[in-house]
Amino acid sequence: MRTQFIYGLLLYLFLLLPPVAYLLESIMITHMHMQMPLLVISGFLMGGILLKRFPRFFEKWNNNGIPGITLFLIIIIYWTIPRTMDEALTLQSIQAWKFISLPFLAGIPLRDSWKKLSKAGKNIIIVIFTVKYFGMGALYIWAEDQLCNNYLIIEQLTLGWGFITTAICLVIYLIYVFTVDPTKYE
Amino acid sequence: MGAVAEKRNSTAFRDSANKALGLNPQDANISKAYLLVGFIALLLGGLMGVIQGLNRAGVLELPTWLNYYQILTAHGLLLVVVMSSFITIGYFYAGFSHTLGGLLPKVRKMAWIGFGLKIFGFVLVVIPVLMNEASVMYTFYPPMAAHPMFYFGLVFIVLGVWMLAAGAFVNVANWRKNNKGQHLPILAFFGTGVFVLLVGATAIVAVEVIFMIIPWTLGWVDGINVMVSRTLFWAFGHTAVNIWYLTAVSAWYVIIPKIIGGTRFNDYLTRVVVIALVIMNITGGFHHQIIDPGISLSIKYMHVFMSLAIGFPSLMTAYAMFRVFERTGRRKGGKGALGWLRKLPWGDVRFLAPFIAMAAFIPAGAGGIVQSTNQLNQVAHNTMWVVGHFHLTLGMTVVMTFFGISYWLVPLVFKRVLTPAMNKVGVIQTILWTIGMTIMAFSMHAVGLFGSPRRTSFTTYGDFSSTLGWDPYMAAIGVGAVMLAIAGVLQIYAVFNMMFFAPKGKTEFPIADVEPDEAPTPYFTERWGVWVVLMLIVVAMAYVPPLIDMIVNAPPGSPPFKTW
Repeated sequence: MRTQFIYGLLLYLFLLLPPVAYLLESIMITHMHMQMPLLVISGFLMGGILLKRFPRFFEKWNNNGIPGITLFLIIIIYWTIPRTMDEALTLQSIQAWKFISLPFLAGIPLRDSWKKLSKAGKNIIIVIFTVKYFGMGALYIWAEDQLCNNYLIIEQLTLGWGFITTAICLVIYLIYVFTVDPTKYE
Repeated sequence: MGAVAEKRNSTAFRDSANKALGLNPQDANISKAYLLVGFIALLLGGLMGVIQGLNRAGVLELPTWLNYYQILTAHGLLLVVVMSSFITIGYFYAGFSHTLGGLLPKVRKMAWIGFGLKIFGFVLVVIPVLMNEASVMYTFYPPMAAHPMFYFGLVFIVLGVWMLAAGAFVNVANWRKNNKGQHLPILAFFGTGVFVLLVGATAIVAVEVIFMIIPWTLGWVDGINVMVSRTLFWAFGHTAVNIWYLTAVSAWYVIIPKIIGGTRFNDYLTRVVVIALVIMNITGGFHHQIIDPGISLSIKYMHVFMSLAIGFPSLMTAYAMFRVFERTGRRKGGKGALGWLRKLPWGDVRFLAPFIAMAAFIPAGAGGIVQSTNQLNQVAHNTMWVVGHFHLTLGMTVVMTFFGISYWLVPLVFKRVLTPAMNKVGVIQTILWTIGMTIMAFSMHAVGLFGSPRRTSFTTYGDFSSTLGWDPYMAAIGVGAVMLAIAGVLQIYAVFNMMFFAPKGKTEFPIADVEPDEAPTPYFTERWGVWVVLMLIVVAMAYVPPLIDMIVNAPPGSPPFKTW
């Protein structure tokens, strides 16, 4: 658990480095599909030690995993809105909010909630993301306007297709989950 | 319940029968056919190779009806596409049959249908090559365009591969149903990874060939997006090469420890290496396009990570292999820092050939890293350096491992034995091949650094003084090629002897056991569904940004060109 915390912290500090943040934010798709998930992962890794240290707190506020996963969903959906990504680049306070919210309000609740969710609950979350990714993909691809002041239309298009391809991968995963019964093999 | 018990009993029976007999005779026929085609391709492809080598050395002028680029195309296709894939499939299908308790009857049928499709496709490919209508080389880059039949042939080859992959997956799924909760036998695990990659790689080239090249060569569309087609080609081409490499690696991890009388390296690490290679392989294709125009710097920068990431499992493999050798040598009484080396069976071709193959991968891998870096690639790209590199990786690392495999796999499937005489032929062949390939590959690397281009027929460039300095290296390439040809003939002789003339007998399928006190491998390694989805996500991450750029900002499409 301590090792995981150290890895998570190192990843977080690495992502905080200005050149790293600048590089990842300079390309729209890496900003949303690389920097943001990595921030969540850093929180996920760091969170283990907190869950162990404060079990009562998580038991009280996230007993069945639903509050935690709801918070996770709210934070993630918030960060897929074009305007929030744009603001992170223009307002320092929003940038700071990104670096706090994604690891600590999305990564840690995800870790605490995921194992508490039933199999159906997990699949519902993946279905929500699949639908959302198709929707966001359609928005970024077919919007005729520039949605973010900081990025060109071509970047927007790339991000849109990034959403669509990720959604296709999620669909493949869902087909696998719904068609293959692991109890027959495992 | 009764049916399940019966099924288990029949599986157990098949397992023990396989252990006793080596391989089910009907399954052995499949491997026989694949190995036969593979080694015939080696003979023909090798012949093309020596003609090429002698032409480049300036000692053989080709007749007017035979074109250098025609031979180059045939050499590449015969060796990289036919020989490698047929031996890989023959080897893994034998492995599935042996470790999974025999192939299912429907899988056997699928393997034969796949064989038919591949051969039919290959005939379609060969006809235009022989007619000098498809001298587009192994890479078949647009805007060079071959006769449409060439591409239709490729489609059938891909269909054959898919049929074989489906067969492999059906057999693996069936075994897992009958052996719930158990880890897939390690050779079948490697085989699963190889077939997953084969499907992934060929799916990409199928998109290129079916949706882009065929409509373009048939004249249905005016132009082709060259950058997109090149990118799709390399997502396939790079993976194809790594598939043969993964096949060689499987023999290093699983077979070689048994041959030297040792045990396998950590089972967990082995499976993680396979998974890592499967997930990260396809995205490595970009390093073939470092000096292509039209790809942004950030994408080229990203490729460094994607390409070098594949180096990690390779480094793990290097460590694992030498640890196995050392552990085995010391158990046999080897003392001191390097005394264990003397305890290894150097006179056994089944070990010697793969060992040299592994050793060759050290300079080969280092050369690969050179090419993956932006600045050094500017120097080496499109020169003979690259030809030297893939003769070290494919021609030495992979092919010599395949040769090593042939000395037990061929007798095994043909129910014969490896005689001391054939072993001796093998050792001589291995030494000759090593010397020949070392001379040839070194000369290619060196002359490449001086600027000698690849893919060109013999020329003195109007006796231009600087290029005349390349000639001694070209002569050395010719010498190497001749030695390789002799070694190739010896190999074919040994293989045919082991197929049809060696004494009848039983040969063991050499699969090493793990260390007795090894910790159990976690079960998550078996979740292939998850690994495949992860592979797809990584592929999407790598290819969406450049492809969108290439499509949206595309220059006018190119018409087909016939440059030969």
